[in-house]
Amino acid sequence: MEHSSASIRSDLPSKIVSSFGYLFIGLFALCCFMPFVLIIATSFTSEQSILNNGFNLWPKEFSTFAYKIVFENPQLIIGSYVVTMAITIVGTAIGLFLIAMTGYALQRPDFQYRNSISFFIYFTTLFSGGIVPFYLLITQYLGLKDSYLAVLLPGLMSPFLIILMKTFIRSIPHAITESAKIDGAGDFIIFIRLILPMTTPALATIGLFTALAYWNEWYNALLFLSPDMKYRPLQLFLYNVITSAEFIRNSTASSNVPLRDMPLESMKMATAVVATGPVILFYPFVQRYFIKGITVGAVKG
Amino acid sequence: MVKVKKMMIVAIAMIMVFSLVACSGNNNASTNVKTDSGTKNGDSKNDAKTNTPEETGLIDTSEFVTISYLVLGNKPTNGQLETVMEKVNVILKEKVNAELKFTWIEWADWQTKYNLALASGEPIDLITIGTDWLDTWNNAQRGAFMAIDDLLPEYAPITWNEVPAEDWEESKFNGKIVLIPENNYTQWVNHGIYYRGDWATELGIIQPITDMETMGEYFQAIKEKKPSVVPIDLDSSKSGVLYGGMVSKTDNIDMNIATGLIGIFMGKSYDEKYTVDSPVFNPLFVDYAKMMKEWADKGYWREDVLNYKGDPRVALKAGLSGADSHHTQTYRTLRVEMDKEQPGSELQMYSFSDTRNNLVSMSITHGGTSVGAHSKNPERALMVYELIRQDAEVYKMINYGIEGVQYEIVDGKSRRPAGYDEAKHGFYTDFWGGRMDKFEIPSSTVWDNIQSVYDKYDRIKKPFPYGRFVFDKTNIDAEMTAISQVVGEMAPAILFGKAGDPEKAVENFRKKLKAVGYDKVMAEIQTQLDAYKKMIEG
Repeated sequence: MEHSSASIRSDLPSKIVSSFGYLFIGLFALCCFMPFVLIIATSFTSEQSILNNGFNLWPKEFSTFAYKIVFENPQLIIGSYVVTMAITIVGTAIGLFLIAMTGYALQRPDFQYRNSISFFIYFTTLFSGGIVPFYLLITQYLGLKDSYLAVLLPGLMSPFLIILMKTFIRSIPHAITESAKIDGAGDFIIFIRLILPMTTPALATIGLFTALAYWNEWYNALLFLSPDMKYRPLQLFLYNVITSAEFIRNSTASSNVPLRDMPLESMKMATAVVATGPVILFYPFVQRYFIKGITVGAVKG
Repeated sequence: MVKVKKMMIVAIAMIMVFSLVACSGNNNASTNVKTDSGTKNGDSKNDAKTNTPEETGLIDTSEFVTISYLVLGNKPTNGQLETVMEKVNVILKEKVNAELKFTWIEWADWQTKYNLALASGEPIDLITIGTDWLDTWNNAQRGAFMAIDDLLPEYAPITWNEVPAEDWEESKFNGKIVLIPENNYTQWVNHGIYYRGDWATELGIIQPITDMETMGEYFQAIKEKKPSVVPIDLDSSKSGVLYGGMVSKTDNIDMNIATGLIGIFMGKSYDEKYTVDSPVFNPLFVDYAKMMKEWADKGYWREDVLNYKGDPRVALKAGLSGADSHHTQTYRTLRVEMDKEQPGSELQMYSFSDTRNNLVSMSITHGGTSVGAHSKNPERALMVYELIRQDAEVYKMINYGIEGVQYEIVDGKSRRPAGYDEAKHGFYTDFWGGRMDKFEIPSSTVWDNIQSVYDKYDRIKKPFPYGRFVFDKTNIDAEMTAISQVVGEMAPAILFGKAGDPEKAVENFRKKLKAVGYDKVMAEIQTQLDAYKKMIEG
């Protein structure tokens, strides 16, 4: 047995196949990696050099001017980081819990109204009131203008993620729930002790989606958090850095705007680095959860 | 069993609804209190207003109020705004017992935010408007602004008397004044080509240059005598400049209908302002395209102009370009910079209006201020506005900051004080709702002699005739988009003379425009212009 498998491994054709595979994956990885290098390199290039020579994989004229402008107010950018991180962590934790509970409840065969409730949830993916009613709801009825809740609440749950969760939990045999019930566990205990641990892969996936959505969220912040707030989410902060630079450069509406040279191209890249950096660092830690399938062997005999 | 479950579901649903209501209730309660007291103040003030002024001739300002003013721009973050506003508010408190607070619409997605802020019914007191760029008439239609006919004479008497009747006429929607125009502030944004007076003299060109043909002679002379200089350095985005040259040969006037890179639809002439016309379909356009091809072949601009992304102005300042282009506002300051960078260059501006004396002023409602429909204190808002606009001290602080910090005056001109640091001391309020020429401080960055240019314009200018024209795109949205696309694809190559045979290229361009609905758009604009004519001429 061992001998034959070893001979298969050293087989010439399979060697070719695997080396081809490595080559392909290597190239693919390179394709994903290059743009990042380009972004980082450009963010360190002087604006004039970008205009003259275009984008390069290595800065021709090294300059940190773009970062100087982005970090002009270090206190503000740190504040934005803290706000975004807090919203991301709190939002993802609460969101995951709610989504998992909803998904679990909606797939329980003994929950009579699961279909009509599902319908209410899915209905919103097809029809929505549009931006004006949404704005009025948040600002007038919920009174959340200038409150971080205005960013936190809308991102908590999404119909798509609920469907995803529901489908995943459905793959957990109902027998498990039943067996726990026979042992005298209540619904909440079943959910916390049995269902949640078995849904780690789904939780990781959905958690990542939610966290990324919160991390990249800027539009709700733009609509509901006025400039009077000192610290606003990172993406909005960076977006404002770019738009104000762009506006100052193209300013026609006003002759009173103070002019100065804005390294627009390198600034865009610098903000991209500032915004994506933490996510790239975070990703490998979550990644391992994706691979696991845990339910295998849970029901035996 | 089923019944119990049903009841439970209902109960849960109710609990959820109540908890939602409760959550919001808290916040609402606090805002309600605020608005209640606000309206109460407003009401009592209204009552007071209707009683007291007639009886005593005085305006009751016993209640201290905060006036919000919606402006566009990113709020300055260096603390200077707060410092200046503190000083402004001391004056405002003393004079009208109020304080002013700017509310900022940031540039990120400003159109949506601006319209939402107006639609939401938030109580904003003063609002920056612009009929040509802030969709003012449509917002007026939606009831975003308060009619202020009755309030103006009493609460902003100087402004009321100073703005002429025909300008108030321009500020009316459905017969009611809904905005105060920025009608006393000179801004010339008519485009043209800047050329070097010293070289033109040296090369024997008759000055001032007033048409494209002479401009061509100037370019040719530079090409021959100054081999290291590009006659006119242009980057890929500047094809519109050469289109301006085309329009200079016609009497067409711009009516702000955007079709991408260049404006396809214009008014036929000032006398025939209610007729739509197009420079592209003018027979002269073929000749013009031929001239552009000739210019390109002779190398008046760089060979790679279609992809070039450099900054032509840098080349001009370095003495490597014989010409540059933009509008008069830019010329005011560029002239000073050029006098510094290339002493004796005598930078001149050929305005496209020079050729046929065809110059239309900027709309007086490009900037302006409205009172929000939901304002709690419209009377006081107008009183504050009156001070911003008519009180020299307040005006200067709002527009320039504090003397000694943001600016100092030397020989009657403002300049930055020593030790001024843009990051630390930079200040602006983006007040574009009623600037006044008489309070503007002459700046050392503006050319001394700019008045001579303004005088030239003043002799020929005609009022902007489309100030109240609201172009409704709904019927032809798809066609307009397609036209913009065709323009983006084909116009630059023709204007830069890089489209091969000019006659064929122009013919193709016209054909393509017709194919995507040019005629339909023309007809639609004409219909709307006819309706507009009826409205204006009664």
